[in-house]
Amino acid sequence: MNPRPALAQDEDSLRVGVKGFVDTYHAVRTESPNDWMSSRTRVRGEVTLEKGHTGAFVSANLVYNAILKDRTGFQLREAYAYYSDEHWDLRAGRQIIAWGVADGLRLTDIISPMDYTEFLAQDYDDIRIPVGGLRLRYSREKWSFEAVAIPVSSFFELPTDDKNPWSVGPIPIGDEPSHRLCNMEYGGRLSFFLSGIDFSLSALHTWNKMPVVCAGMGQYRRMSMLGADCSLPLGRFVLRGEVAEYLDELQPNEESSIVNYPLSTRAAASNALLGIDWYAGNDWSLSAQYAHKYVASGDHRNTGLATFRISKDLLRNTLALQSFAYIDVTNGGIYNRLSADYALNDQLHATLGYDFFHADRGSFMVYDNNSEVFVKLKYSF
Amino acid sequence: MKKVLLIAALLSIVNCQLSIGFAQKLTGRDVIQKVKDRPDGDTRYGEMELTLRKKNGTTRQRKVTSWAMDEGKDTKKMMFFTYPGDVKGTGFLTWDYDQIGKEDAKWLYLPAMKKTRRISGSSSKTDYFMGTDFTYDDMGSRHVDEDKHQLLREEVKNGHKCWVVESVPVDKHEIYSRKVSWIRQDCLIAAHVEYYDKLNKLHRVLTISDVKQVQGFWTIQKMEMKNVQTEHSTTIVVKNSQYNVKVDKSLFTVAKLEKGL
Repeated sequence: MNPRPALAQDEDSLRVGVKGFVDTYHAVRTESPNDWMSSRTRVRGEVTLEKGHTGAFVSANLVYNAILKDRTGFQLREAYAYYSDEHWDLRAGRQIIAWGVADGLRLTDIISPMDYTEFLAQDYDDIRIPVGGLRLRYSREKWSFEAVAIPVSSFFELPTDDKNPWSVGPIPIGDEPSHRLCNMEYGGRLSFFLSGIDFSLSALHTWNKMPVVCAGMGQYRRMSMLGADCSLPLGRFVLRGEVAEYLDELQPNEESSIVNYPLSTRAAASNALLGIDWYAGNDWSLSAQYAHKYVASGDHRNTGLATFRISKDLLRNTLALQSFAYIDVTNGGIYNRLSADYALNDQLHATLGYDFFHADRGSFMVYDNNSEVFVKLKYSF
Repeated sequence: MKKVLLIAALLSIVNCQLSIGFAQKLTGRDVIQKVKDRPDGDTRYGEMELTLRKKNGTTRQRKVTSWAMDEGKDTKKMMFFTYPGDVKGTGFLTWDYDQIGKEDAKWLYLPAMKKTRRISGSSSKTDYFMGTDFTYDDMGSRHVDEDKHQLLREEVKNGHKCWVVESVPVDKHEIYSRKVSWIRQDCLIAAHVEYYDKLNKLHRVLTISDVKQVQGFWTIQKMEMKNVQTEHSTTIVVKNSQYNVKVDKSLFTVAKLEKGL
């Protein structure tokens, strides 16, 4: 069913929707050598064509990147065709698929991988990498079921070039799985939307899309995920929970060598997240999450990651202040993005911010001197 | 004895007439209930243009498209922002429950994140809607018994014969201490509402200046909420209102929220 009143349109007419933005983003390191960390300008265009129950959506970027020259050019993001009626929704093509209820953390949300070319110092929607596949959803008033099939998988983009300030180091990355039918990803998610609670059950046969270093090389292996999530509104609070069991996940094996490469370690990993959102009123909102991972074997069995967000809208929602922190609980590291976004008018926003990194160990350590100030100007149309 | 019986009979008739007269006397609650029960079809569609005007005359604009469907005394609503570009495609799905104490169910879809969030059903009622002078409560349908109502008088306002009703919120955490509404008797729509702050000073004034019949239903075409303390105002122009449109309850689902306009 097309969600428009019958009188408002002709069902057989072609509808065209266009939106997008032009933005320019520049960041400079606040520590010596105070070099430019990012300098890019882009045009994003999104076009929707729809006629009756069928349509197509295309989203693409045209980018000029002054720091990472190979990122300059045309970038196709999403491009899919769809059919949608009262209960069925079918999308075929390159698309972003998001599961779960976690905010900025990935437990069940492991279909669309991430682009870490500039780590997390980008808009979150820019970090997701679309996957080419088929998504079929059947929905009723209070529940829906979606099935996904991804013939050719996409994987994390990790910067290993030392000219990139966000490089994770010279890690050799092994070949991605071959494009064969047997390497297809597939899964499903059953979701319920009730007056007092939302919850979902999910299953996915997939790959570790972030390369795992074994024998000195980043590798990909098959794994399966069984997951569940829920959101529970309680007055001004919303409690969120998510669990995911990774069966046979490839584990890092620093001591192995190329010789024993076939003996790479695989183990079950249990992931659990608890989050709370507080809609405090007066345009204040706070959110905290803690995610724990337990691996059934190895030396580093328990790891924890937390996030904390606080935001406040001022001046009749024209000024948005926000602080979002990732806290590596296991290693004591932190990455915090502080930003102030001001709407100069209906179309033009200016953002000023500060990214703070501190870590002596763990995944944030490589960025310990990457603290930066950034400025962004964005014109939306 | 006959005289006594006659007096008793007369008294009982007078009593009866008095009680009938009392029963027929309109109360403030009756008026507000009439307003709430005003016919508006089983389903509705509308496009709103919200213009925010500062004291210095500069303006900002928001545009919203919405659908609503009644299910008994409950209402389901779907709303999408169509302007400005940075919020275009953002959608709200709300299941409003009439029962006092039952929390509304609300979902927010952010197209940039490709994700729907379950949001608090009770938090935003007293917050201002997208920086306008209207609160979420003003934009929604407030339960009649969330306020104590008193019919003050009848008078002519802006050329319309009105009931004047004072409403005092039961919950003391509301942002206003009382509001006084001039309810038009011809169409059961307010012509003028005054909101008083906690210090009982006039805070905001709502003026509904354009009301027309669309498909036989009285419909607000234009209204302005002015904060008289800051002199900031918001004008809402409603376009393309339609009633009993062909939508069914499958529109008011998270799947359709994510599908978008």
